[in-house]
Amino acid sequence: MKKKKELKISRRTVMKGALAAGAMMSVGSIPSKLFAGEYNIPDPLKPLPTTGGNMRWIDSGDMKGVFWKKLFPEYAASRGITIEYDGLPWKEINKIVPIAIRNGTVHDVFQLPLGMDPGVAVAEGWVQPWDDYIENIDEWLAAFPSGVYLPGVNQFNGKTYGTCLTANKRTGTCLLYSEKYMSEAGYDPQAGRMTYSEIRDAAKKITKNGNGQYYGWIIGGNQVNRWEDVVHTFGQVGGAHSGRGGFTNRHINFQNGKFQIASDQYMEAVELLLQLKSDGSAFPGVMSMNAPQARALMPQGAAGMIFQGPWCIGVWGRDAPDWKYGIASEPVPDGKEAQPLYIAEGGSNTFWLSANSTMGPFAGDLIRFMGTEQGQIYWAQTVGAADPAVNPDAVAKAGLTGPSAQALAMFAENILVGPNPIVRNKDVGIVAAKSRVPDPSLALVIQGLYTGQLKGVEAQLKDCNQRYEDALDKAVEEARADGANVTRDDWVFPNWDVYSNYGAEKYQEL
Amino acid sequence: MHKKPLSKQIYDARWCYLFVLPCSILTGMFVIYPIGMSWYFSLLDWSGFTKEAKFIGLQNYYEAVNDEFFWDAFIRSFIFMFGTVPVKIVLGFIIAVFLNNQVLKLAPFFRTVIFMPVVTAIAIIGIVMTFVFSPFNGPANKFLMSTNLTSAPIDFLGNPDTVLPTVMGVYVWKWLGITMMYWLAALQTVPQDVYDAAKIDGAEGYRLWIHIILPIVLPFAIVIILVEAVGALNVFPLIETMTAGGPFFSSEVMEIYIFRTAFVTDSGTMPRLGYACAAGVFWGVAVLFITVLQGLWMRRTRRI
Repeated sequence: MKKKKELKISRRTVMKGALAAGAMMSVGSIPSKLFAGEYNIPDPLKPLPTTGGNMRWIDSGDMKGVFWKKLFPEYAASRGITIEYDGLPWKEINKIVPIAIRNGTVHDVFQLPLGMDPGVAVAEGWVQPWDDYIENIDEWLAAFPSGVYLPGVNQFNGKTYGTCLTANKRTGTCLLYSEKYMSEAGYDPQAGRMTYSEIRDAAKKITKNGNGQYYGWIIGGNQVNRWEDVVHTFGQVGGAHSGRGGFTNRHINFQNGKFQIASDQYMEAVELLLQLKSDGSAFPGVMSMNAPQARALMPQGAAGMIFQGPWCIGVWGRDAPDWKYGIASEPVPDGKEAQPLYIAEGGSNTFWLSANSTMGPFAGDLIRFMGTEQGQIYWAQTVGAADPAVNPDAVAKAGLTGPSAQALAMFAENILVGPNPIVRNKDVGIVAAKSRVPDPSLALVIQGLYTGQLKGVEAQLKDCNQRYEDALDKAVEEARADGANVTRDDWVFPNWDVYSNYGAEKYQEL
Repeated sequence: MHKKPLSKQIYDARWCYLFVLPCSILTGMFVIYPIGMSWYFSLLDWSGFTKEAKFIGLQNYYEAVNDEFFWDAFIRSFIFMFGTVPVKIVLGFIIAVFLNNQVLKLAPFFRTVIFMPVVTAIAIIGIVMTFVFSPFNGPANKFLMSTNLTSAPIDFLGNPDTVLPTVMGVYVWKWLGITMMYWLAALQTVPQDVYDAAKIDGAEGYRLWIHIILPIVLPFAIVIILVEAVGALNVFPLIETMTAGGPFFSSEVMEIYIFRTAFVTDSGTMPRLGYACAAGVFWGVAVLFITVLQGLWMRRTRRI
């Protein structure tokens, strides 16, 4: 019988193959088409270093993390590097990034802690400009909508230090609800914006129907910024026109440059939260859970409503695809018409490149790709409304449907661009660096009122408003003592029409 | 007798100094230097990571002692200490007495069970306990409701009235094993002859413990109280993972206060490392003062 020829592979052959494969992986200029994956990553515009390396990246996660975890392995393979990604809640970013900057171990690409003035990061030398790493950066920047890249916001000394791939046209306090519970309570938020009374009544009915198994409303109450976000946005919807962003923008009415914390609209919003509690409609454990925990309980049927951001859409779509929910605009006080919400010019999710990073060529190559229309379409298809891609054409081409498309349409209808003092006077950045949110902050005051540790909504909000005024005055004074040319008048925009966008021509009129 | 010059003494003991050197270097790097720097930083108006740091003398201390939240946290730390240490000492002693009994065959098993939380990572315990005490499907509330002890779930960690006692309870449970071990070590120093002699003299039951055993282990008790008291003032990881000091500061002890001011807050402004250092130095001196007082008490008790 003829002996069948055996396939013999020697150890040496295996090692040769492995070496060849390793060598291929380590070559930076391998055409990306070799790596068939979900994304068509183009070749770099100029040759990248072939030395490989590990790029560390940290941001606030959520749906960004979902996208990066799909893209990064493909990108890393196509460029012969590794990427270490940390997607963490803002609370952690606020702690980790300052410590890492302090001890020189910050990630190659990172987000600055919330409210930190980017001017400080540039002046302190923590970051380096992207200009050397993004090929044809002027042409690349020109493709973004106007107002995304601005001096004093993400550009300094004529260079681009911060890159934005996403728009900031969104709110974090939409009404997200269980379709089943809401319909059983006899309400349809899609029929029109709900009033405070309707929210209260719906919450009561859901709680009654739940009979101890589920409740009308839930919030991540130990994450204190949730209280402030709800009251701030609801106050704006009620007509307390004010800015968003860090301490030097948020809660300030740019018509008179004063804080709005003690306004009737803020008080009404706080009262609504207290009524939801006193009605027994609030989920019993709200004070011992953070926002992600509260969000996770919604598909489990624990509550009928939550005031949260569009980032829930992607998470619920992934974790509870069969759960039926709806998204609607924030409620409005009884008898009032909803007023616009405002964002400052600029994008969101600004990425900074560490001054110590040696991975700039790769980070720049990746950011450049993500700023192209194709990159933006990829982003929009995964992230959706959670962090809307900044390029509106890409968003339109991404073919979004369902709650994501609805949320984007809602934001487009409800949100306008408001004034931004730092665009008017870059020395406002020095004030931001000097400012300290007073203790207790508005977020904590609302939490204290909710738990009953503080009494008297009006008195507490008035005290809080005064603390904020004093804190801003003090920061302005300190900035002036350091040579900044700034006064509280920089926060007054007499030509602000609250029903239209505040663009470049308005700044010129001042 | 002619005394050797100092240099000669040092030379003669050179091997001793050589062996002490590594420990001295490490102590200098990780204890002395940080303490010294925190004193220095406490005199600065400094965020901790900008180049700009302004010398402001004792202004941070002045601000701290005039801050009601500082004093609230300060007092809360001592409430925590006084609420947990006596419970741990008494419970630990009772358990140790039972487990020290040679007749109890399952003593090693119970010892292991009680000691197990001690070797579990505190952050893990903190996180797990937030689920245990959750008002929604948390086992603690399920038990209370199933036994009709309560008609509605209790928000143990979200209610300002229950949050601190709950965290204190978890702390006692977590560290009870180590207190028990201290007591077991103390009890095992009591010679068997003493028990035998006491029995011959007719001392049994509580009389044996109150009049014979307790006086013998009393010096140990002082040391155990001292160690436990200092331990109860260092509870940062447990509280940070369980409540982060909330709701509305109700469980904010000094370490959480220092941490909150040293880092960027949820509200998003620059941290204040200089101020946090001032609060930390003040707190450190207070703890040192208490430790010295306890030391003096210990010395006095030994004389008695």
